[in-house]
Amino acid sequence: MSALQSALALISAKLIAFVTAPKRFVVSLRRTVYDLRTGRRTPWDVSKSVLMTLFGLAMVLLLLFPLFWIFTASLAEGTRLFNTSGIFPDPSTYNLGAYRWVVFESDFFFVDGDWGYPQLVLGGGSGLVSFRWVGTETGPGALFNSLYLVSVTIVAGFAMIVPAAYAFSRRSFVGRKRILYGYVLFTQIGAGLSIATLVALYSLFSSYGLTNNLFILGLFYAAGAIPFNTWLLKTYMDNIPISYEEAAMVDGASFLDTIREIIIPLTKPGLAVVLIFVWLAGWNEFIIAQTLLSPENYPLSVELYNLATEGRFSTPWTRFAAFANLFALPVAIVYFAAQRSVEDGLSFGGMEG
Amino acid sequence: MASSHTGTGASGLARLRAAVPFSNRDWGLLLVIPGVILFSSFMLYPIVYLFYISLTDATFAGSVIGGGADLIGLDNYVQLLSDSQFWTSMTTTWLFVAVSLVIKVFLAVGIALLLNHARVFGKRYMRAAVIVPLGFPGIFTITVWRGMFSDARFGVFNTILGRYNGVMSSLSAPEILLFDVPIGFLSGRWEAFFAYVTTEVWLAYPFMVIIIVSALQDVPRELHEAAMVDGAGFLERFRTVTLPAIRRPVLFASILTGATAFQQFLIPWVFNQGGPARQNELIIVYGYREAISFNEFGLSAAILIVAIAVIGLFMYAAVRYGGLAEGVGDE
Repeated sequence: MSALQSALALISAKLIAFVTAPKRFVVSLRRTVYDLRTGRRTPWDVSKSVLMTLFGLAMVLLLLFPLFWIFTASLAEGTRLFNTSGIFPDPSTYNLGAYRWVVFESDFFFVDGDWGYPQLVLGGGSGLVSFRWVGTETGPGALFNSLYLVSVTIVAGFAMIVPAAYAFSRRSFVGRKRILYGYVLFTQIGAGLSIATLVALYSLFSSYGLTNNLFILGLFYAAGAIPFNTWLLKTYMDNIPISYEEAAMVDGASFLDTIREIIIPLTKPGLAVVLIFVWLAGWNEFIIAQTLLSPENYPLSVELYNLATEGRFSTPWTRFAAFANLFALPVAIVYFAAQRSVEDGLSFGGMEG
Repeated sequence: MASSHTGTGASGLARLRAAVPFSNRDWGLLLVIPGVILFSSFMLYPIVYLFYISLTDATFAGSVIGGGADLIGLDNYVQLLSDSQFWTSMTTTWLFVAVSLVIKVFLAVGIALLLNHARVFGKRYMRAAVIVPLGFPGIFTITVWRGMFSDARFGVFNTILGRYNGVMSSLSAPEILLFDVPIGFLSGRWEAFFAYVTTEVWLAYPFMVIIIVSALQDVPRELHEAAMVDGAGFLERFRTVTLPAIRRPVLFASILTGATAFQQFLIPWVFNQGGPARQNELIIVYGYREAISFNEFGLSAAILIVAIAVIGLFMYAAVRYGGLAEGVGDE
């Protein structure tokens, strides 16, 4: 919960900074004009700065061109995107048809876009209270598979990562160095390694009857996220002075008190970053999900891939773009709200020297 | 209240101490063990099992599970070394790693220097914008790039090249500067390779920029000013002040992005499944296809074990030369 709260706090701080940006721009513009009038800066000096800034802007636009292109493409449902000589669709034809398709016809929210709502049922099913979907004939769609998968990954991941990071940071025990070194070796593996073991994974999962099981797949993603995030959180905890805990102990705080009052509050930013990374681990992966799951259990990432490769030469670009934007945007927003902490997380590990 | 907690905690601990064999100070291990077990069972065990499969003549998943495969020793590895497809794949993979790495380093250093320059206004926002690609799922961005590299006459890059041709011929430029549109970006070997490299560079530069910028920001301003006072030009300052500061971070980031490039699966798979005619199968794609498309599980496992060994070398180098494990010894 606290990780979620601090993630939200980060987002709101970013939003405020973003909204107030124009004011800061006007202020520095005024100052430049003033400097020019009073002769503190020469016109040549100012124009050099302007040119460099424009150059930087041009570079940013060039690098972000693909994302801009796909965003405009998502607004062009019904137009012939690849059949006219323009790169971007005609702005006069912009429409939200593709998004309408994602919401009301695709499997994004509900299978075939047949919306329903949850209803609590007393005494039904296996437990005392269960719930079922009402109003939909086809059942919940890929989004709910994704959310379930990610929940398992986050819960299992946090249960493993947080205590271990604390132990690595604050305790000494047999094998500590060896395990930590092993984790560091595995911190930087990409998705490539899990694809490399896919052949073995598939055989193993089949022989234990674990294929087509979202819960097991969620555990698998959590396992892959353990080394990097444990190490990341450990370095965060290392930065909390141990004297804080010692002072609290002197004042009569118990071991659990020090955890609750000192360790957890002070590692909140680290917990937020770990939350984002663990979430991404479950949200983005698709090749293993596609191999191990059956179509009714496909998460969003697999649906997106299938949409992209439906026909070899005829990806439905506008629909793909709308689907992908809805899939990626929430993650991207959270990611960039916590950008500072994420950057720290990525460049961790003694980069100063 | 706090003291009552300590009381029960202490007596509980005493009982625990009597019950468990290892010494009291080792209880931290209990917090670590669950993660190690989960990680080992899902990551390390499959690697060991993969090695076992590579020693058998398994042809498909069923033969591995059902026990229809026999141990044949190192035959798969011997077969691999005499397979020309393996060497094509290896060469292409290393070429891909090398070419994309060189471009990445130059591009990222350039971007980082520009976005750290005193004359660039609003560089904080530009830095935030420039690393945007990192926040999007790989499957999304890679498919978008495939769309832009479309073979179609009105694909994005073919349209741009067509416009460029129009401008150049209106300037009556010589034929040699014109492109023969439409280019089949995904249907020619080197065209496809070029498309892979472009996409890989675009995917990896944000990470490098982040690391280089954070290194640049640690360089004291006085150092630059002192060099300026001494009359050092831009290049001289780059060589004596900037370069020493960013050399190690660049080396570190090179090893890491080199390792990801070596494991690149999605780009070739989404673009054209390592085609045309299996010429651009990067190593992981090669191993994956041998298993999925050609039912050669044993051979595929051998390929992937070789790939994992190389990745292991990368990781070892990163830890060794990146100073990653410096914190391991701290208490």
